[in-house]
Amino acid sequence: MHKYELLILKSVRGAGKQELSRLMESVGLGKDETLWALENLKKQGFVEIEYVDSKYFALSDEGRRYAENGLPEERLAKKLGEHKIMVSELKSDDERIGMQWLKARGLIEIKNGAIKLVDAGDDAGSKLIKEGALLKEILSGNYTGNEDSLSDFIKRKLVAVRNIHYIKSVAITEAGENALGGKHAEMTDAIDRNIISSESWKNKEFKTYDVNVPIEKSVPAMRHPLKRIIEHIKDAYTSMGFQEISGPAVESSFWNFDSLFVPQDHPARDMQDTFYISNPEKIAVKEIEYMNRIKKAHRNAWHTAWKEDIASQMVLRAHTTSVSARYVYDIMNAISKGAYYDFPIRLFSVGRVFRNEAIDYKHLADLYQMDGLIIGKNLTMSNLFDTLKRIYDSMGIKINFKPSYFPFVEPGAEFYAQLPGSDSAIELGGAGMLREEITGMKRNRLSALAWGAGIERILLVKDTSIKSLPELYNNNMGWLRKRRLI
Amino acid sequence: MPVITFKKKYLYSLLGSGIDDKKLNEQVIKMGFEVESLNEDEVLLEITPNRLDLIDAVGFARSMKNFMHKSKKFSYSIDNPETAVEITVDSSVKKIRPYISGLAAFGVKLTEDSMLNLINFSEKFCETYGRGRKKIAIGMHNLDKMKTQLVYKCDRDMDFVPLGETAPMKYSKVLESNDKGKKYSNLITNGKSCYYPSLSDSEGAIAFIPILNSERTKLTEDTRNMFVDITGTSEYAVNKVADLLAATFFDMGADVRRVKIKYPNKTIDLPELEKRYININLAKAETQIGVDIGFNNVISLANKMGYEAALIGNIIRFRVPEYRLDVIGEQDVIEDIAIGYGYDYINPLSMFYSQQGGVEGQTILNRRAAEAMIGMGFSETASSYLTNEEYNFDKARLRRDRSAITMKNPKTETVTIMRTWILPSLFKSLGMSAHESMPQRIFEVDMAFSVKEGMPAESYRIGAVSIDPKSNFNEAKSYVEGFLDAIGIEHSISSYEHKSFIDGRCAEIRVNGKHIGFFGEIHPEVLKNFGIEEPGIAFEMDLSFK
Repeated sequence: MHKYELLILKSVRGAGKQELSRLMESVGLGKDETLWALENLKKQGFVEIEYVDSKYFALSDEGRRYAENGLPEERLAKKLGEHKIMVSELKSDDERIGMQWLKARGLIEIKNGAIKLVDAGDDAGSKLIKEGALLKEILSGNYTGNEDSLSDFIKRKLVAVRNIHYIKSVAITEAGENALGGKHAEMTDAIDRNIISSESWKNKEFKTYDVNVPIEKSVPAMRHPLKRIIEHIKDAYTSMGFQEISGPAVESSFWNFDSLFVPQDHPARDMQDTFYISNPEKIAVKEIEYMNRIKKAHRNAWHTAWKEDIASQMVLRAHTTSVSARYVYDIMNAISKGAYYDFPIRLFSVGRVFRNEAIDYKHLADLYQMDGLIIGKNLTMSNLFDTLKRIYDSMGIKINFKPSYFPFVEPGAEFYAQLPGSDSAIELGGAGMLREEITGMKRNRLSALAWGAGIERILLVKDTSIKSLPELYNNNMGWLRKRRLI
Repeated sequence: MPVITFKKKYLYSLLGSGIDDKKLNEQVIKMGFEVESLNEDEVLLEITPNRLDLIDAVGFARSMKNFMHKSKKFSYSIDNPETAVEITVDSSVKKIRPYISGLAAFGVKLTEDSMLNLINFSEKFCETYGRGRKKIAIGMHNLDKMKTQLVYKCDRDMDFVPLGETAPMKYSKVLESNDKGKKYSNLITNGKSCYYPSLSDSEGAIAFIPILNSERTKLTEDTRNMFVDITGTSEYAVNKVADLLAATFFDMGADVRRVKIKYPNKTIDLPELEKRYININLAKAETQIGVDIGFNNVISLANKMGYEAALIGNIIRFRVPEYRLDVIGEQDVIEDIAIGYGYDYINPLSMFYSQQGGVEGQTILNRRAAEAMIGMGFSETASSYLTNEEYNFDKARLRRDRSAITMKNPKTETVTIMRTWILPSLFKSLGMSAHESMPQRIFEVDMAFSVKEGMPAESYRIGAVSIDPKSNFNEAKSYVEGFLDAIGIEHSISSYEHKSFIDGRCAEIRVNGKHIGFFGEIHPEVLKNFGIEEPGIAFEMDLSFK
């Protein structure tokens, strides 16, 4: 309820039927505000308004003057009294007008230029006075008579008649009472510590609120949608027995490319696609023995020169599979030194990956990726498919597989989600069995399943209110405040 | 992934009856590729970069027909021991483009479509596998317009009539004025020296390698006999590509003949078309894929994928098709068996889950930090790790220093370094939100980067900003202390100077006497630099899990 409406409703309840002018006075509002609020209250059924059809008499300027000073004929009659006055002695227009009216009514006679009242009795005099009083009543707004009594004045254009439809009185309805919280009770408004301790509320009713009134909403502080989906993904992995791992984002080409069997002349290594670092520009590979094995594998498979210098170039990692590659090495290295593992080992990582893009409203240069790794005995592609289906199932996404190619896995697969209500599918990531050339696991009768997938894409499939990737990283306050916990 | 374009009519004529758009789509996906688009005239296919034999419509049709069991075309060999062309390799090419191979094809019935396919194929092949002609360049010639004795050498700046021209031109002129010359000139320059590798017969050059062929030997629809040269920087690659091309000409119905290559120290006849076998243990393949295939089916699956296969004891011997450059070992063959079997038929098989999973300590700490900040009314943000000196240093009133991880090859000036701290990311976001209602409180727990003693250093940090017309230093302090208490970090606070904050309204946070962060009232100049219109406070500290 608007505060004016509330003021008026309260005032009307106190006073029973109330006239408009009183009402305005008691609430201290102007006429426009009062009428506006009354109209609203009436629409809600909170008040009953009694209207009156009536005539309203308004004084013309001349009429107003006469109401204040008396009718000219009345004044002239008083002045004449018992005397005679010569016509030539009449000083003002008023006196001349008075003379004409007195004459028309036969109250004076004029002989040889002299005016004299005729004896028409007291009645005539008092009638004149009464007539003058009518104007005064109209002026003060107290006139209650009808139009007939004013017919002369109307003819003389001293009074104008207007028909009006006005509010006579306002009364509160049952609904209005209820809106204020009941008829007779004394009300409890805001609660304070005294009301609680004294229990004074017990004898009163609580003031109620209109639940339909629009208010300004609170905006909860929330986690960022990307971070929320990452937490969800971490929960999904850990619930399936996966342990989280992490690794450097600023990485050597060796771990980002060479250890993943990407040939040194592969286009993916171009400056066009990968961020190369000038500070620090190169860091020598420390794992010499492993590096030599990778070098041999490259030469055998790709028949090209393999240079340590290229492997030592620092880059921003293009995939979190570099983290998996480091762990495959660490674990196999530990096993060769006698470490014992309970197979299968399940690992996952989540982190940023980088593409050398010109950043604009459509393109981002860093995005999140997750990678999974299972090392064990007798692992199969069907185990891989099952694990991935479970992870995506937990996010309500159904996935399918098709063959695909990545240098470091064989067999390789790609998985994609069917977009709800659409024919198109969105590619989510790549997967496969890591090449023996990389893992060197054969002699331990082990193999490894690995996969990598973008995270922003999952969010795009799940939350259709998010239209584009870059808006995820803008952090516009308005956007953050409109997020939903989907 | 390479996208290739085929003339639909030509492709469908190669595939034979029973093919339509729907069927093509289905089969292509099962093979592991995608139909990117399809219209009346053209088919656009996305293939994986390992299967370069499919860039050619003839090769694609061959694999697809095998896949649909419509043909059994597995291996290629040349029986005629005679070589059709002889190429003498001069030692002068050694320093710039040392290797050459080739083949001759007799009785090629070129049509407009098949000629276009050959040209598109060699262009696309040289761009992708050929690494922009550096590793591989292919030239195709009308064999009847040339002599069969050729020399491959680095020439003087000679005249020849390049393809599409009528008058002779010097090599140097080609590099200056011809589009191909300009595009590939870098491949024949080494430092300041420029070389002119050419393939010539007694009448002059038939090719300026790897730039342009001669007008004299160009292909036309009347061409019946062809010579193909393949040059490059890897002997293995040029020889293998000759094998791949041989398969294409065989499938076009030609009689393929070898070419003799006379290197200074050896002579070889190419294409080699060497027989190569990979033995597969079926049980192992079945285990890796996770399906039961059986000896009865595996031969048929091999044929489907283009392999000739034979059972020898309990080992299956796969003959690798000569055109497959990508098959390195056992795992590649197992993948092909899986593709032949069909990924759709590999049923997900649950694994036994016994171990306990868990997240890293850093994740637990980050979660606690986020919970505390959200409890204090701060919304979480996610920002790029990439920035530039202007945002990371200048706008925050800091001096640029050499501690940032710096990009060597950024595409734009917006991304030149990795952020060294979090607050500029938050300031930037708030600057873009000036029209939104106040107060605005945001935080971010994520990584920042620097170089320490020549090594990259990556750490987790927390940054938080509150923009509020009623901001003051005490509010900042109350957030900082409330936050540190909530995540259980004992700390001390002392006064501090930081250029991004107002002097005398800034403090540092110490844990065990060690500086971990700072907070205070943001300097008005910093606010203005980032487009923030109301006052604010901020804190940032290290949050690495130890």
